[in-house]
Amino acid sequence: MAEKILAPLAGKVFKVYISVGSKVEEDDEAIIIEAMKMETPVFAPCSGTVKEVKVKEGDTIEEDDVLAVIE
Amino acid sequence: MKPYFEKMTDFGRELKEGQIKRAQENVELVKKTENEIAAAVEKAKNAGFPTEKINARGQMTVWQRLEYLVDPGTWCPLHTLFNPMDNEIGTTNVFDGLAKISGKWAVVIGFDNKYIAGAWIPGQAENVLRATDLAKRLNVPLVWLVNCSGVKLDEQEKFYANRRGSGTTFFRHAELELSGIPVLAGIYGTNPAGGGYQGISPTILFAHKDCNIAVGGGGILSGMSPKGHFDKEGAEQLIEAAKKFKVEPPGSVKIHYDETGFFRYVFDEEKGVLDGLKEYMKDMPSYNPKFFRVAEPKEPKFSSDDIYRLIPMNQKQVYSFDDVLARLVDGSEQMEFRPDYGPEVYTGLCKVDGYLVGCIGNRQGFLAKGYPEYADYSGFGGKLYRQGLVKMNEFVTLCGRDRVPIIWFQDTSGIDVGDIAEKAELLGLGQSLIYSIQQTDVPMMLFVLRKGTAAAHYIMGGPTANRHNAFTLGTAATEIYVMHGETAAVATYSRRLVKEKETGKPLDPVIESMNKLAKQYHDNSRPIYCARYGLVDEVVPMNEMRKYMAAFAGAAYQNPRSICPQHQMLLPRSIKG
Repeated sequence: MAEKILAPLAGKVFKVYISVGSKVEEDDEAIIIEAMKMETPVFAPCSGTVKEVKVKEGDTIEEDDVLAVIE
Repeated sequence: MKPYFEKMTDFGRELKEGQIKRAQENVELVKKTENEIAAAVEKAKNAGFPTEKINARGQMTVWQRLEYLVDPGTWCPLHTLFNPMDNEIGTTNVFDGLAKISGKWAVVIGFDNKYIAGAWIPGQAENVLRATDLAKRLNVPLVWLVNCSGVKLDEQEKFYANRRGSGTTFFRHAELELSGIPVLAGIYGTNPAGGGYQGISPTILFAHKDCNIAVGGGGILSGMSPKGHFDKEGAEQLIEAAKKFKVEPPGSVKIHYDETGFFRYVFDEEKGVLDGLKEYMKDMPSYNPKFFRVAEPKEPKFSSDDIYRLIPMNQKQVYSFDDVLARLVDGSEQMEFRPDYGPEVYTGLCKVDGYLVGCIGNRQGFLAKGYPEYADYSGFGGKLYRQGLVKMNEFVTLCGRDRVPIIWFQDTSGIDVGDIAEKAELLGLGQSLIYSIQQTDVPMMLFVLRKGTAAAHYIMGGPTANRHNAFTLGTAATEIYVMHGETAAVATYSRRLVKEKETGKPLDPVIESMNKLAKQYHDNSRPIYCARYGLVDEVVPMNEMRKYMAAFAGAAYQNPRSICPQHQMLLPRSIKG
């Protein structure tokens, strides 16, 4: 079953720690969003393999955008 | 109350592998800063004559005396780098801290006899007042190692007089005694004038055989007939008088033990004086710890070394405050107060060394969607909003009612601003928190984990709450300022930028001034600066934070002025619901 990593807030993608095919554990730091002068980490919602990464560093994102998919 | 306190709720998470790896650079940055601070501390401790020179005179140094006096492993130094008047020597010529002597907590303070025989110098009076205030706040004995040659005469105008000048100490000693707090003094060396009052103002005096205390010393007596000028004849008279008083200074043991009896005890050896203090400390008023402990002391489940990875030096990075706290409190257990309300702050009961303490800290990072509920913008931890302020007010008030000491952890960028925030009453709620703190009358301590900023630094138990804040500690990541330097530069120069632009003048000089101001803010907010000017009372390594918490809790519960029976506490019931 696939789970999406959603952007909790609007901002800029500052760091992407995951890549397609990489394994992640639940609560691993996957992506960091920069907004309001702060770097906000986004965590993997489940353990699994990264199926898709939809953003790259520097991208502007909106709240609830899909950032990546984990299977 | 076993069901409440013996086993509380577990919290905190193990560090993940990726987190450990990614934080390695942070560990190195923190340790680099801690090493710089340690080097500054070492320099302060070595101020004045070398130890060998003092020992060759048959004296111990202040550090050797302290080491012999306090129970091993209990010394929690404070104000080591405090030097608010920029003395060249780098200290205020006294050293103090919280320590156990013969198993009892005390505030311990000693003159540095390595530098001009422990004289009063600028900034020292403020340091001493911090020590006397600490003894008062914690209701624990004050133990002095007096060795004070009096005023450094060429700088007397900076500290002799004034409301908080050197003489204030003697009134504070009387105030402590009137509150039932004993002041013990081991007395060494020559203590004339101010030094004499340093010697006489404590409660019980333990004298070394070669010490003296006097209203005026040999130096004054030698020159007390001024002619309006100095000449050769006068100089010869002075030489004779000075020789006499060097051999036999006023106020020696012969006078103040044999004649006046001011000295309760006299000891032939330096260590004998310290043994006398130790013996007396055994009898100081204190409860057995079991009287107040709510559970057996336990170490946290997680290592305090993890804190080096958890608190980022990069102020933009967020972290889990709960994970930090879980590395500091007994068993990594807690009872959180109102977990579903005011998510930007943690409030809860924890145990330190088996004693109950209230903990309050700023959480970091993006808060839940729709929060703060009164605004159309997102909330971030570190900032304070309506619910957080209400929650802290309630928690502090209940801690006061239940007589629970409070440990604050600040990493705050301030209180939410703007008309929406004003409408949400944040200005009033901030001041309400100040009122809540003031009416508790329980001891508090504070860690400024990273940022201490704006009014939030005041209202979250900051040192300005000086009747309640026993002491404030910094870390390698601490920075304290009214606002971030770049924000200050914008506030100061934005109108000028507009004006220069409109009149066609070059912007570069203004930009240069902005960068200069931002750098000034940066430099004047670092941990060593904060310690030097008293914005914090000490900067402590991250893995020694718990040691200070245990000292604070142990001292606060040693002999409290008021008690709430555990079974009559309201806060744990309020949490349980």
